[in-house]
Amino acid sequence: MRKVLIANRGEIALRLIRACRELGLPTVAVFSDADRAGLHVLAADEAFRLGPAPATESYLRGDLILDIARRTGADAIHPGYGFLSENAAFAESCEHAGIKFIGPPASAMRALGSKTRARQAADQAGMPRTPGSVHGLASLDEALTVAANIGYPVMLKAAAGGGGKGMRAITSPADLPSAFTSAQSEAERAFGSGEVYLEKLIERPRHIEIQILADEHGHCVYLGERECSVQRRHQKVIEEAPSAVVGPDLRQRMGEAAVRLALAAGYTNAGTIEFLVDPDQNFYFLEMNTRLQVEHPVTELVTGYDLVHLQIRIAQGAPLPFAQQDVHLRGHAIECRVYAEDPDNAFMPSPGRITRLLQPGGPGIREDCGIYEGWVVPMDYDPMLSKLIAFAPTRELAIARLLRALDEYVIGGIRTNLGLFRRILRDPDFQTARIDTGYLDRLLASGLSSRPEFSQSENGAEGSAVPIIATAAAAIFEATRPTPVTPTAPPANAWKSAARTEAVRDFNGKARS
Amino acid sequence: MKFDLEIDGQTRKVDISPSATSGQWQMQIDGEPVEADACLLRPGVLSLLVHGQSHRVVLDADLANASANGDSADPALHLGAHRIEWRAEDPRSFRRRRRHAGTDGPITLKASMPGRVVRILVAKGDTVAAHQSVLVLEAMKMQNELKSPKEGRVIDLRVAPGDTVSSGQPLAIVE
Repeated sequence: MRKVLIANRGEIALRLIRACRELGLPTVAVFSDADRAGLHVLAADEAFRLGPAPATESYLRGDLILDIARRTGADAIHPGYGFLSENAAFAESCEHAGIKFIGPPASAMRALGSKTRARQAADQAGMPRTPGSVHGLASLDEALTVAANIGYPVMLKAAAGGGGKGMRAITSPADLPSAFTSAQSEAERAFGSGEVYLEKLIERPRHIEIQILADEHGHCVYLGERECSVQRRHQKVIEEAPSAVVGPDLRQRMGEAAVRLALAAGYTNAGTIEFLVDPDQNFYFLEMNTRLQVEHPVTELVTGYDLVHLQIRIAQGAPLPFAQQDVHLRGHAIECRVYAEDPDNAFMPSPGRITRLLQPGGPGIREDCGIYEGWVVPMDYDPMLSKLIAFAPTRELAIARLLRALDEYVIGGIRTNLGLFRRILRDPDFQTARIDTGYLDRLLASGLSSRPEFSQSENGAEGSAVPIIATAAAAIFEATRPTPVTPTAPPANAWKSAARTEAVRDFNGKARS
Repeated sequence: MKFDLEIDGQTRKVDISPSATSGQWQMQIDGEPVEADACLLRPGVLSLLVHGQSHRVVLDADLANASANGDSADPALHLGAHRIEWRAEDPRSFRRRRRHAGTDGPITLKASMPGRVVRILVAKGDTVAAHQSVLVLEAMKMQNELKSPKEGRVIDLRVAPGDTVSSGQPLAIVE
């Protein structure tokens, strides 16, 4: 491997470029018109424009990306997550072009990519799954029969699904006909396939997933689990490793089942098998993600392995440098997905200029981040800004460390969900790990704002003092505010503006009264 | 220097003056004396000592640039876990403006976020009910319906499907 093209953007592109640099591999970045000023362009050795901002005209243009790879002499492509990462046709085009796709072979992606086919593969690998159909439902009549057999409540899901689209919980036969039609059309619109299937609804499940790594010589290991039960509308918000409810025995059973599935499908490179775990610790196969996951850092922290390094080594044809018995978990890691969205306003997206950025640091804090002060967060892609991850010897200390880091973190100019994390991390149910996939939606429905009350104290001051401190600070900012230039004022004069800048700098009260 | 500060919805009377010592400020907040020691670490980042308690106060944006960038939002500061907006009612302040305008006369529907206009659900001349959806705006893979601020007639539509709009940009006028 001589050079790696990074077919992604944002924090993950930067994370991949860093790994390549550590391994001495030159990188090629690609960017859309919205990302010319992106950090990944700056960090890579070479960077080439793909096209206009919409992903369909840039990051999803596999043909253009392959073209750039050929032109630059890149002989490997890392797709990151999202975009082309689970596109079997793209992986195949890479194979045909003689360019290494850093991920599984197209055949394994096809075998596991559709949820119904993955359920068939699970059966062959002897992996427990939720009761229900393993093929798309041909008609409403078939749906009614399957549902009656497995018993209500049931879940209707899109075979090509993801992100909760085309998904319906159904409690009685009367609700099935309308849900069947609407789920089909929603899936058709979102994924171009209206195939839906039914499975038994697991009540209050926890979302727990197993990270696997498979080399191209038939070795496969599992790197423990991640718990991602804190979700909003089926989107993960907080992930952690290990799970508070998974002991060595359950971990081994889930891990071995995951490895069997991967080996049976001819899977190589990094992958994740997602499970639902019910309150009685039964686990059920949910789906397989055939790529590096957003939340891979928590696994890296508790295992000590760099997953991107290992992905690259596997793609280079090297055997796994360790065996299953070498994998040990140590400590606890928790990740917050920091989004440009406003939790106080229906989670409305909040793209725009980051006018102020103070980033946390110190012991046990990792920030995988693709933003900087002055960067304009584009409206064209998903709203993730960064991932804030804390690592500590225990879950309790990891929570304390995250709360400490959140207090250091300031992102100004746009709205973010930082306040929501403070609230979750202080919630007694989260602190005692009494969580399931419905936990966050229930917390949000309880109506409390993610904004802290003024009664909450700030750095030792009594809560009631917060408005006074804020007023004092605002008053000082107002008193030193530069006189504005009105639109009718004559053109700015360099002497005058220099003097004004000086006046602002001379903050300590001498210049103004 | 005297002004009213509206902090998080509550108005406070402030009388502030710098002391002879650099960085020291004397003020009265609603008649209560407060002494503060302020040090600007870098633009927008203030170290504030009040009665020996140390606070970091961070401005969202430089006040001088806010108007230059056409940013109409109120200034905001970060204090611990709090994000607090304020507005000064000062005769010297250019930011002084009418608040709580009534619902009489034409009202402009403005973009609540930067985004792309996906669909327009009304035509010029249509009558709309209060809170009726007027158009759909998309950003970051999320679609949001923008609703009419009042009952009335759409007298102007300023955008077309596919247009990119910035936050606060006028989209439609309802009379």
